[in-house]
Amino acid sequence: MVLKAPTGSAGTSGPKNPLTATAKEKEIALQEAKSQQLEQEFKTKHLGILGVLLWVLLLHVAGIYFFTKGFLLTRMVLENKSSCDILPFDDVSGKAVSSSTGGKKGCWHDKTFDKAVVIIIDALRYDFTVPFASMDQDEAAHLFHDNIPVLYETAVNNPSNAFLLPFIADPPTTTLQRLKGLTTGTLPTFIDAGSNFAGTAIDEDNLVAQLHSAGKTLVQLGDDTWQSLFPGYFDANLTHPYDSFNVWDLHTVDNGVNEHLFPLLQPENKGKWDVIFGHYLGVDHAGHRYGPNHVAMAAKLQEMDRVIRKIIASLDDDTLLVVMGDHGMDTKGDHGGESDDEVQAALWMYSKRGVFGRTSKDTLLPPKHARERFVPQIDLVPTLSLLLGMPIPFNNLGSPIEEAFAGSSGNDWSNLLAVNRLSAAQIKRYQHAYATARGAGDDEESFALWTAAEEEWKSASKGFTSKSTTVRSSYQLYRKYQRHTLEICRGLWARFDVPSMIAGVALLFFGISLLVLYARGMKIDRTELTPSLLSFVGAGTGLGAVAGVVLVLFGFTDMATIDASALLAAFGSMAGGLFALVKKPENLTLPIPNGMWGCLAFFFTVSQSLGYASNSYTIWEDEILLFFLTTFGVCAGISSMRQKSTTDRVLGVYHSILFVILGRVASFSRLCREEQMPFCRSTYYASSTSSISAPWQLAIPFLVALILPGVVRSFYAGSKSYEGAATLWIGFAFRLGLLITSLFWMLEGADDGEWLPLRKETLKSVRVFLAQLVLALAFGAGTGAYLYSKPCISISVNKPTEDPNAPPAPVILGQQQQPRTTVTILGFGNVYGTRFFFLVVNFALAVILMQKPMGQGAIALLICQILSLLEILDTNALTLTNSPIGPVVLGLLGSFYFFKTGHQAVLSSIQWETAFIPMSTIKYPWSPLLVILNTFGAQILAAIAVPLTVLWKRPLQTHDRVSQSSSTKVANPASRLLSDVVQAASTHMLYLATINLATTMWAGHLRRHLMLYRIFSPRFMMGAVVLGVVDVVLMLFAVAGVRWSTLSVGEIFGW
Amino acid sequence: MASVTSPSSVNTQGSPTQAPAEKPSPPPIDILPSQLAQAYSYVHPAVLLGLYAYRFEALVADPVRELLADLPWLAALQISFVMLCLPPAGSTSTEAGAGAEEEKKKAPKSPSGPLRHGKPGYRRKHSSGKSSWACFFAKLMPAFLSFALTSLLATPLIAVLLVLFGAPLTTHNAETILCAAHMALLSATGLVYVHGVEASVWKEVWGIARPVDAVWGSALGTGLGAWFGAIPIPLDWDRPWQAFPITILTGAYIGYAVGSLVSRTPLLYGKRIEFAPEQAEEEEKKTN
Repeated sequence: MVLKAPTGSAGTSGPKNPLTATAKEKEIALQEAKSQQLEQEFKTKHLGILGVLLWVLLLHVAGIYFFTKGFLLTRMVLENKSSCDILPFDDVSGKAVSSSTGGKKGCWHDKTFDKAVVIIIDALRYDFTVPFASMDQDEAAHLFHDNIPVLYETAVNNPSNAFLLPFIADPPTTTLQRLKGLTTGTLPTFIDAGSNFAGTAIDEDNLVAQLHSAGKTLVQLGDDTWQSLFPGYFDANLTHPYDSFNVWDLHTVDNGVNEHLFPLLQPENKGKWDVIFGHYLGVDHAGHRYGPNHVAMAAKLQEMDRVIRKIIASLDDDTLLVVMGDHGMDTKGDHGGESDDEVQAALWMYSKRGVFGRTSKDTLLPPKHARERFVPQIDLVPTLSLLLGMPIPFNNLGSPIEEAFAGSSGNDWSNLLAVNRLSAAQIKRYQHAYATARGAGDDEESFALWTAAEEEWKSASKGFTSKSTTVRSSYQLYRKYQRHTLEICRGLWARFDVPSMIAGVALLFFGISLLVLYARGMKIDRTELTPSLLSFVGAGTGLGAVAGVVLVLFGFTDMATIDASALLAAFGSMAGGLFALVKKPENLTLPIPNGMWGCLAFFFTVSQSLGYASNSYTIWEDEILLFFLTTFGVCAGISSMRQKSTTDRVLGVYHSILFVILGRVASFSRLCREEQMPFCRSTYYASSTSSISAPWQLAIPFLVALILPGVVRSFYAGSKSYEGAATLWIGFAFRLGLLITSLFWMLEGADDGEWLPLRKETLKSVRVFLAQLVLALAFGAGTGAYLYSKPCISISVNKPTEDPNAPPAPVILGQQQQPRTTVTILGFGNVYGTRFFFLVVNFALAVILMQKPMGQGAIALLICQILSLLEILDTNALTLTNSPIGPVVLGLLGSFYFFKTGHQAVLSSIQWETAFIPMSTIKYPWSPLLVILNTFGAQILAAIAVPLTVLWKRPLQTHDRVSQSSSTKVANPASRLLSDVVQAASTHMLYLATINLATTMWAGHLRRHLMLYRIFSPRFMMGAVVLGVVDVVLMLFAVAGVRWSTLSVGEIFGW
Repeated sequence: MASVTSPSSVNTQGSPTQAPAEKPSPPPIDILPSQLAQAYSYVHPAVLLGLYAYRFEALVADPVRELLADLPWLAALQISFVMLCLPPAGSTSTEAGAGAEEEKKKAPKSPSGPLRHGKPGYRRKHSSGKSSWACFFAKLMPAFLSFALTSLLATPLIAVLLVLFGAPLTTHNAETILCAAHMALLSATGLVYVHGVEASVWKEVWGIARPVDAVWGSALGTGLGAWFGAIPIPLDWDRPWQAFPITILTGAYIGYAVGSLVSRTPLLYGKRIEFAPEQAEEEEKKTN
C-alpha cells in the first residue's frame, strides 16, 4: 500500500505553519511530552497484561497439578527389608524343610550358583532372538531377524544348560522403570515415568541392596542409570558407567563394557567380584537412531552374538550367565509405551553345569512368538535371589521361573514347591504389611487360595507316598496364589485420588469460565481492567493461601500445607478475578458466539473436545484436524465470495484455496501410531520400520531454503512492506539459516548412509557447529534484530515540482493541504504486522532446524498457511472485529502440524535424539528445551503468530489521528491495540485450555478404561504440556514481543 | 452454524457504493404448480432414498460396482425430476409450467437471465406453444445441458473437494470419483437446469448466498449431509459400511431429501444464510 501523505500529518516532521517561534516550541514540547506519556502508558499497560497472562498460566498449572496428583498412579513404598535370618512363614516346619536339605549354604534356599554375570542388552526384543517365523505368508524376514542366534541355539541344543523365554515388561517401557522392576520385583507406577531424565535412588528393598548387604562385590558396567538408582552399591574400582542418553552413539558404551568385562572373566580376576551387571546400549541406540530394520541394527545384533559367545567361552561352572532385554522397541525403534513390540523382551539363562529343566516336552523349544509361555520381568527377582542364595526382596511380586528350578530332568517337584512356597509366603507377608499400612483387609479369594495351597503342602510333606501328585498340585496352588496377587496389585495400584482429581478439574473449569468472560465477554478495553483485576487477584490469592494454612493448622484437612494453600489461593484468586470482571455489569456482554465465524470457532473447539471421549477420534485426531481446517478454508472461501470489494474477494478466495491445498499437501507427512494400522502409511521416515529420513527427503530442506523466504517476501510485497530490515532479515539471514540447516541434514544423511570418507567424530562436530550457528542466528542475532530494527517501511521525500505526475495526494484526515513536500511511505498498510512477523521468522528458523527433513517441509507449509490465514482474516474484515476464529484456527494449525512433524499423542513418538542436534552431550536445561522445541514446534509457532491475527494489516492508529477523526473520548490507541492482542492471546489459550480440560476430564472419567494408558492418558499429558508450553510462549514471547514491535512503530509514527 | 435472516433485511446490502449496476439476484425458484409436478416433487426424494436403502447392502458389498451401476439410474431420475418439476433456465416458474397463466408472466423481475447461448425468444415461443411435445423438447435441451455440465464440471470439482477434505488420493480413486458423481447429480443437476450459467446466480451459489428454495436447499443439504457423513468413519465399530465413501454418500442422499423438503417450508423458504453479524462488518473498514 502506498501512502502519499502531506508532511506533518504523519507526525514525523514538525509543522511548517507560520507560527511564532515560542508557540511552535511550546507545541513541540507539548507533543513530545504527550507522546512520552503515551509511550509510558503503553509500557505500563503492557506489563499489566503480561501479569494477567501469568495469572492464567498459574491457574492452569495449579489445575493440572492437582489433577495429575490424583490421576497418576501412586503406590506406597514400604521400608521393610527381607533378611536372611527371618523366613517369610511363621511356622517352624517351613524352616525345618529349608535348612534340612542343606549342604550348600544359602539364605532361604540352597544356592545354585556363587557368582553371576547379568548382561542387559537394552531393547533386546524377543523376535530378534528366535528364528524368523512369519505370521502370514507374504511376510519376509527383516534385517533384524536371525542375527543373534546364540541364545536360541544353546537353548535348543543343550536344554539343561540354557533356556530362552519371552520376558514381558510392565509399562512404561523406559529403562529406568524397567531397572526398578528388574531389581525390586514390584510394579511400576506412573508417577516415576517422567524421571527418566534424572533417575533417583531406589529406597525399596531390592536385589542389588540384598547382594550388597550380604557382602558381595558388585560390578556395574555400561548404562549409568544404574549409578543413579543404586548409588554406592557397586565396587568403585571395577565399575565403569557410561552416559546413556547419547543415542547417536552406537559404540562407546558397548566398547566400554567389553573393555572392562572380559578382563574380569579371566581366571586370575575371578576372585575380585561376585556379580557383574553389564548393560549394553548399542541395540537400543541403533533402534532410536535408525529403527530396527536397518543394517546398523543387524550389525549390532551380530556383534552382541559374538560378545555372548565370548562370555560363554570364559565362563566357569559356578557362574550363572543371564542375558536379557529390559524392554523391546516399536516398529520405529522407540519405546516407552505399552504396545506389544515394546513390552516383549527376551530372557536367556545359561550355566555350564546342567541345572535347568523343562517340566513338559511341549516346553522344550523356546516359544516361536512372544505371546506364548512368557514370564513377567519381575519373575527375575525371586529367581535370581534364590539361585544365588539370597532372601527374596520384601516387595517382590514375581514368581520363581519354572525352568530354573525344575532340575535337569524336569521333575524336581519338591524343589519347585519349596521355592514357590517361599516366594508365595513372602508375597503374603508383603501383602499383609501393605494392607496394614493402608488400613485394609486381605483379599478373600487370595486367602482361600493360600489356605488351599497350605493344606496341599501339609499333606505333601506328611505322606511321602503320593508325593509327586500332591506336591505338584500344591506347587500349582502356590503359583496360582502368586499370580492372583499380582493381578490384584495391578488393579490396586490403579488407585486414583478422586478428590484431588476433582479439585484439578474444578480449577481448570473455573479457569476456563473466567477466560471466557475475559476473552469474549468484555465490551471495554481490557487494559483498563488490569489494575483492579490484578489487585483483586492478588488479594484473593493472599487470602486463599492464608486460609489454606489456617485450615491445615487447625486440622480441618489432612492435605499437605502447601497443597491446601495453593488450592485455596487458586480459588481465592479466581473469586477475586471474577469480582473484578463483573464489578461493572455494563462492561459485560453475553459471551455467546455470534455470527458464522464465532459459531464455527465454538463448534471446532467443542466438537473436538467431545471427540476425546472416544478412543477412535483421539487416534485419528490428525485426520479430524485436516477435516476441520479444510472446513474452515471452504467457509473462508464462501465468505470471501461475499465480499463486496473485488480485491478482497479475489484475494480472499485465492488465499482460501491456497490454505486448503497447503493443508492437504502437509497431510501427506504422517507418522502412524500403532492403533491406526492398517489404515495408515507412515511417510515421515524412510520406511515404517526406520527412524531415519529417506535420501530423497534430504532435498526438502533445500527446497524450503529456496522457496520459503520467497513466499514470505511475497506476502510482505503484497503490502509493499518488503523494505528496510525485511530485505536483510528475510531475504538474507533467514535464507542463510535455512541453507545451513539443509547442510546440517545433508551431513546427517551422509553420516547415516556413510557416504563420506570422514570420521564420525569430525562429521559430528561439524554438524554441531552448524546447528549452533543456526540457533545463534535465530535467537541471538534474531532477537537483537527484533528488539532494535525499524518497521518495514521506506520513506522518501518528494518535492512536488520534481514530480508533476504524482496523483493528487489522497487526503487522509479530511483536511485540505497545500501541495507541498510530500512524504511517500511504502509499507504503511501493514506496519504492525510485518514488524511483528520477524518474531515468527526467528522462531521458524529454530523450529525448522530442530525438525527432521520431512518435518521441515511441514513447518514451511505451516508458515505459508499462517500467512494465508492472516490474509483471509484481513480480506474478510476479521482482523479488527476481534473474531475468535483467527486464534482458534491457529490453535487447530498448531495441533495439526504437531502430527505432521512426525509426532503422535504417544510417549514413544518423542524424538529424544533431536536433543543432540546442536549439542553432543546432555546439558540441562538446554536438552529438554530442545526436545520441547522439536515436539511442540508447531504449537509454539502458532502461538507466536497469535498477535498477528489482530496486527496483520492493522491500520496505523496514533493519538493525533484518532483524536482528530473521532471527536469522542480520546483513549490511547496503543492500548486498544494491546487490548486486542490480549484478547486474541486469551482466545488462543481458551481453545487450548478447553482441549486440555476435555482430555483431562475424559482421562479421569475413563480411568478404568482398557485404553487408558495407551490412548487417554498420553493424550491428557500432551494436552497439559501443550497448554503449559503455549501459555509460557504466549506470555514470554508472543505478547511480550508486541512491546518492541509497537515501540518501533511508535518511534517513527508517534503515539 | 449460521444464522438465517429474512430476505428483507438482506436485500439492503446490495445498495451501497460499490458494485455498480449489479443485477438484482433472481428470486427463489418454485416447483411448477401443476399437480403432477407438485406431487412428484414430494415423491422424488422418497424414491431416491428408498432406492438407496434398497441397494444399500449391495453398495456395502462392492461400492465401486454398485455406484457405477446406479449412476445411469440416478441420472435418469434426476433428469426426469428437473424436467417434470422445475422451470428450465431462462423461463420463470409460472410461464413454463402452465401455459394458461400467461398474464402472470410479466410480473417476475429478471427476464434478462436466460441461458447464455440460448435464444430466449425462440424458446419462449415454444414454451407457450400448444404442443406438449414442443414443450418437452424445450425442456430436454436444458436438462441434457445440465447433465453434461454436472458430469463434466461438478463431478471433478466435488472430487477435488472430497480429496481436500481428506479422501485418499493415492488409493480409492474410483470410489472418490463415483461418490463425487453421485453428489454432483444430486446437487448440481437442479441448479444448472434452473439457472443455467447465469453469473450472478453462481456468484451467489459460491457465496452460499442464494435464497432458500427446493433446488438450492437440496444442493446445500447434499453438501452438509456429506460433511456429517464423514463423522462415523473413524469410529472403531468395524462395520463394513464405515468404509469410504458409503457414509458420505448416505449423508448426501439423506441431506438431499431433507434439504429439498425442509427448504420448502415457510420457515426457511426465501431466506438467506447470513455469515457475519451486521454491525461489525461495516464499522471498522480500513481507514486508509
